[in-house]
Amino acid sequence: MKWMEELRRLLRRAQEDPAPADPPGGISCQAAVEHLFEWLDGELEPEMGEQVAGHLEACARCYPLLTFERAFRQAVTEATGDEEAPDELKERIMASLESEGYRDS
Amino acid sequence: MSHLPDRDRAFREEALPQMDAVYRFALRLAGSQDRAQDLAQETFLHAFRNWDKYTPGTQAKSWLFTICRNLFLRREQRSKRHQEIVSEVADVDPRQLSREATVFMAVRDRDPEGAFWKEVVDEEVLRAIDELPGEFKDAVVLSDIEDLSYQEMAEVLEIPVGTVKSRLFRGRRILQERLHEYAVEEGIIPPEVQPTESDAGGSI
Repeated sequence: MKWMEELRRLLRRAQEDPAPADPPGGISCQAAVEHLFEWLDGELEPEMGEQVAGHLEACARCYPLLTFERAFRQAVTEATGDEEAPDELKERIMASLESEGYRDS
Repeated sequence: MSHLPDRDRAFREEALPQMDAVYRFALRLAGSQDRAQDLAQETFLHAFRNWDKYTPGTQAKSWLFTICRNLFLRREQRSKRHQEIVSEVADVDPRQLSREATVFMAVRDRDPEGAFWKEVVDEEVLRAIDELPGEFKDAVVLSDIEDLSYQEMAEVLEIPVGTVKSRLFRGRRILQERLHEYAVEEGIIPPEVQPTESDAGGSI
């Protein structure tokens, strides 16, 4: 009875996270999620940013997605954060610049 | 008291502090340390020779990334492919991509806050980034690793801001899918139980 399983699943989901009648931040879940990346990237205008933040931080449906995306971003940033140019490369760059007339002192 | 010519002083103050960032960017573009070092060296040499084209006090990092990427593309002769991909992705609505949280939907019953991301080893994250199609990789690296703004990325990649967003958001989604597959394969997160059609590929 696949349809019954599906119905049960949909009912469970609807009970767990009903769409708020008066959404936090004054914007809908859909609008907040559509701007989630832009907000995390610091690219929204302040007023819109406040609305999106107000919604994502307070909405039981959307908050998990916010923490999910933040955790993903952190994993990407941390994976590459400590990569530095090797000293050998820095010396090579300086030598080639000096051969072009650059003076360091 | 410095006797440096103004040009050299400006280069030292604005361009040279970006060596780590340029190397990281070159590493992601070129894929190997040897090639990345050659590319980074070439970038600084080119930048020094063309320093008079740089407007002091603007974003030296973006300017250096632009040089680095152009040198790379020229070397790889990828310009034709680059144009083809631009036209493929340009029409995708970034807002739809933001909503298209396929991996979140797949794991929301098991790990809704994405704790498994922390368990994925750094090497695997880097490998997955390196394996992204070039145009998506550029966007993810410039934003999520080097923290450039959309406008700065648009200048480096020479594409409109809307296309920057489409590529960045799509790149993140592809990266999430690959790392999720890896996490399941490695047993970091259990596989999805009884997937249904409505669970697969849904939008928020």
